[in-house]
Amino acid sequence: MAKLEGSFTVEDMKNVQINIGAVVKEEEEWDQPMGPFPKPQIATLRDWDFKILNRYKIFYAPADDTCTLCTYGPCDLTGNKRGACGINMEGTCGKIVLIACLMGTCAHTAHGIHLYHWVMDRFGDMKFDMGTDILYDAPVYQTIIGKKPRTLKDFGEGLTYIEEQVANLLAATHTGQEGSYEDFESKALHASMLDHLGMEICDMLQIVAYDMPRGDPNAPLVEIGMGTLDQNKAVLIAYGHNLAAGAEAMVYVENNKLWDKVDIGGVCCTAHDLTRITEAGNPSILPQNLGPKAKVAGAIGWWRKMVRAGIMDVVMVDEQCVWCDTLKDCEERKIPVIATTDKIMYGLKDRTNDPVDAIVDDLVNFRVPGVVILDPMKAGEVGVKTAIAVKPKRAEIKAKSVLTEDEFKKLVSSCTKCNECAFVCPPHIRISNLMEEAAKGNLEPFSSTYEVCVGCGRCEQVCRQEIPILKMYEYANREYIKNQKFKMRAGRGPARDTEIRTVGAPIVLGTIPGVIALVGCSNYPNGTKEAYDLAKEFVDRGYIVVTSGCMAMDMSLYTNEEGKTIWEQYPGGFDGRNICNVGSCVANSHIAGAAIKVATIFAHRNHRANWDDIADYILSKVGACGVAWGPYSQKAASIATGCNRLGIPVVVQPHSVIYRRAYLGRTDVPEDWVVIDARDGSKVRIEPAPEHMLYIAETKEEAMLMMAKLCFRPSDNSMGRMIKLTHYCDISLKYFGKLPDDWPVYVRHASELPLAWKDQMMKELEEKYGWKIDWKGKKIVEGPIRPADVSFDPTNIERKIRVRK
Amino acid sequence: MAVDTTKNPIPFEMAQIPGPEMAKAYPVKVIGAIIKKAKRPLLVVGAELFDDPIMFDKAIEIAKAKNMTIAATAHTIKGFIERGYTTNVYQIGLHPLTNYLRFKDWKGLDGQGHYDVVIFMGIFYKFANAMFSALKHFNRDIKRVSIDRYYHVNADMTFGNLAFDSAGYHEAIDELIAILKK
Repeated sequence: MAKLEGSFTVEDMKNVQINIGAVVKEEEEWDQPMGPFPKPQIATLRDWDFKILNRYKIFYAPADDTCTLCTYGPCDLTGNKRGACGINMEGTCGKIVLIACLMGTCAHTAHGIHLYHWVMDRFGDMKFDMGTDILYDAPVYQTIIGKKPRTLKDFGEGLTYIEEQVANLLAATHTGQEGSYEDFESKALHASMLDHLGMEICDMLQIVAYDMPRGDPNAPLVEIGMGTLDQNKAVLIAYGHNLAAGAEAMVYVENNKLWDKVDIGGVCCTAHDLTRITEAGNPSILPQNLGPKAKVAGAIGWWRKMVRAGIMDVVMVDEQCVWCDTLKDCEERKIPVIATTDKIMYGLKDRTNDPVDAIVDDLVNFRVPGVVILDPMKAGEVGVKTAIAVKPKRAEIKAKSVLTEDEFKKLVSSCTKCNECAFVCPPHIRISNLMEEAAKGNLEPFSSTYEVCVGCGRCEQVCRQEIPILKMYEYANREYIKNQKFKMRAGRGPARDTEIRTVGAPIVLGTIPGVIALVGCSNYPNGTKEAYDLAKEFVDRGYIVVTSGCMAMDMSLYTNEEGKTIWEQYPGGFDGRNICNVGSCVANSHIAGAAIKVATIFAHRNHRANWDDIADYILSKVGACGVAWGPYSQKAASIATGCNRLGIPVVVQPHSVIYRRAYLGRTDVPEDWVVIDARDGSKVRIEPAPEHMLYIAETKEEAMLMMAKLCFRPSDNSMGRMIKLTHYCDISLKYFGKLPDDWPVYVRHASELPLAWKDQMMKELEEKYGWKIDWKGKKIVEGPIRPADVSFDPTNIERKIRVRK
Repeated sequence: MAVDTTKNPIPFEMAQIPGPEMAKAYPVKVIGAIIKKAKRPLLVVGAELFDDPIMFDKAIEIAKAKNMTIAATAHTIKGFIERGYTTNVYQIGLHPLTNYLRFKDWKGLDGQGHYDVVIFMGIFYKFANAMFSALKHFNRDIKRVSIDRYYHVNADMTFGNLAFDSAGYHEAIDELIAILKK
């Protein structure tokens, strides 16, 4: 037997079984002591959750009145009645919320698990190295697990931890287990914290393995839009969230010099990740700077529009946000489908072990509508070969896939204006009006509502005349589709430590008015342009604007008067008046990570296994607000809820009511707004900052006002508070026509009054609110909830008290 | 002849079928009588008023006729300011408003006490539906009335769908105003 070198030697042994348990590593080099809560269990952070939930009341808007989860059902729970198992409406809502958050957590984590195994197979274990600019390299992992991963393999411990927690959490949803809605919410907060861990692991694995940008503010501008896909070439679309197979298709094209024959585009988050590959310039087994060769076809809301526009020849689906009728839509248009993970297989035959040429032959000759190939390399090769071979065969079909003028007119005339379609349209488009105008030759309403249409297709499901309404949209907007060509900055990954050092103090003091994180899918209440409007408003005002996923894609589709997209208008740093695209869905963890890094890099808080302490710091001192404007998925629910457990409030759009739950503050209950001054343990009443934790806005205007308001923090210094108040008041004047009613609540000192309205406000404070004003000294003598105090150290955690009074 | 507001009582988003307790569509005169009889009604108006601006004027007429407070949700307050109507109208988001409404110890927008009837108008359907649901389950002391152009399944009293009959809807609202003025 060969002699093996290592910590021990094995020689000439036969019939001996050696079991190796956990390998004990050398003492970690980390100057932070282990915090109180490594790998928190379900009950570990419950006290922290209840602190949040006591201030921010759990608000339910049930989407149905019954429970049908067990054989006793349906139970009528109307009016908070109890069902046969004893659960009431509040408990049922809490249970559904937990299940939704678990769906989101599992989707991201399972993505990470797949990548973990794939990366080990494809690249082998690798050093976990985020580069010299990111030494705080996995902040969420470290805050929860309490360890520093050294290699990619080390992340396995985090994944195992999540699996165990998820099993326990899901068990609690079985009939007869948890019955308290508060505890369901605590569990949902726990599940959603795990989501951020799963997302971070997933993105760190791909950043290192695929050598993606590591916090690069100058990540390349990549092409986005249906018009960017060259119709003279075969077009292969990778659709979903897991880059493994799509990346192999790109590698195959690069290695075989096929870019003149094939264009590869991504839909949804796979698009983000394909455009990030090997851009960091480190040694890699993959070709260098591959990412920008892929195109971003578009966000999820554009999928059905794309497939009807006839812009693709082959589709590779991977996982998560892939519509369930993809195979049906593709089969009707003879677009071969390759399913590349076991999460979506559509009933297709698993051909993973068949020869490539045999699979290609079957797909190209339309003997099967699609196949399952679970080996990403083989899937990539089959995808490319099929696209090239099938393109000429599809030419005729492709030409027929778009309506002719005559066909369009015929369909217009077949509309009976029954308005069944309007009854099911999420953004309430009056389709019969579109038809009426089109009959007069006016296609403008079809054009102006194209971006408002979320592409759900429910209108077609109910149309008695079986009118293919989405197909009509494609005809009416065919010129726009050809010219939908824009630029988007590729996902840059996390904030750099140096960026945090620069902005840490201004964020905590308030002189950078806030961090706005725009995330979510494409289910906007009033069109994709709202994504651009929200971003532009806050970048222009000097906020740090961070975005990701489909919202980053959708805001790329608009330009200013100079024809520049938002990415071309502003730099890509993590700084005021910048906009940074962190990447795909799983890169949302870097938003939580940046907040953690403000606490640990700027404020020197130990984050190691110390979730509640860090969250408490963020809640009181880091003026950040998440915005999910257009979320449809359960993943958005868990991302938002995970942010809430970290003390970051989130504003969502009105469709989000279907997830039933919000966390809302009551400003009329002063005792809800009392914190501890960590300097001496005294109790201090504070202004309601932030006022809410999860808030639904009816319109984008209301969202903007709330975003500005939810960036207030008790720790703002007077200059910072003045800046924040100025933006809050200015947004209100701009969109509401008046100052907000509650602006005096946020005033602690005369220097905090916005300069533009200072005299007017002081007068109003005296006359309307009865405050005492020293007009000579221009000072507020009496009136505010509390005086301004630069050394005030608000906390909600008793153990943070330094010296008791 | 008065417009029939009891026709077409199906949820405007058809799949919004909540359970055994669903709203009944009533004629204007019945809804008018309920509002007229209310001790402390609250008119809640949303941003869809901007799509049909005459509704701002009608909302003001309704409020004046019953001396009723208006809760202007989203950025709707702007429409009232533009019309010079600034007394007894409060700017508040629908979400926090509904949150306050479910608590029985809330003192109202003017600090004068809780409300016995809430009347919704001009609010994005799905959002209004969900907020009605919150009150339906968690504060059944408040009567939920919709005078919107949609059948609202989680209200107590509602019109049928008039979403595609703008003239008919305006007529119904005018009839309501006339009843309240009597």
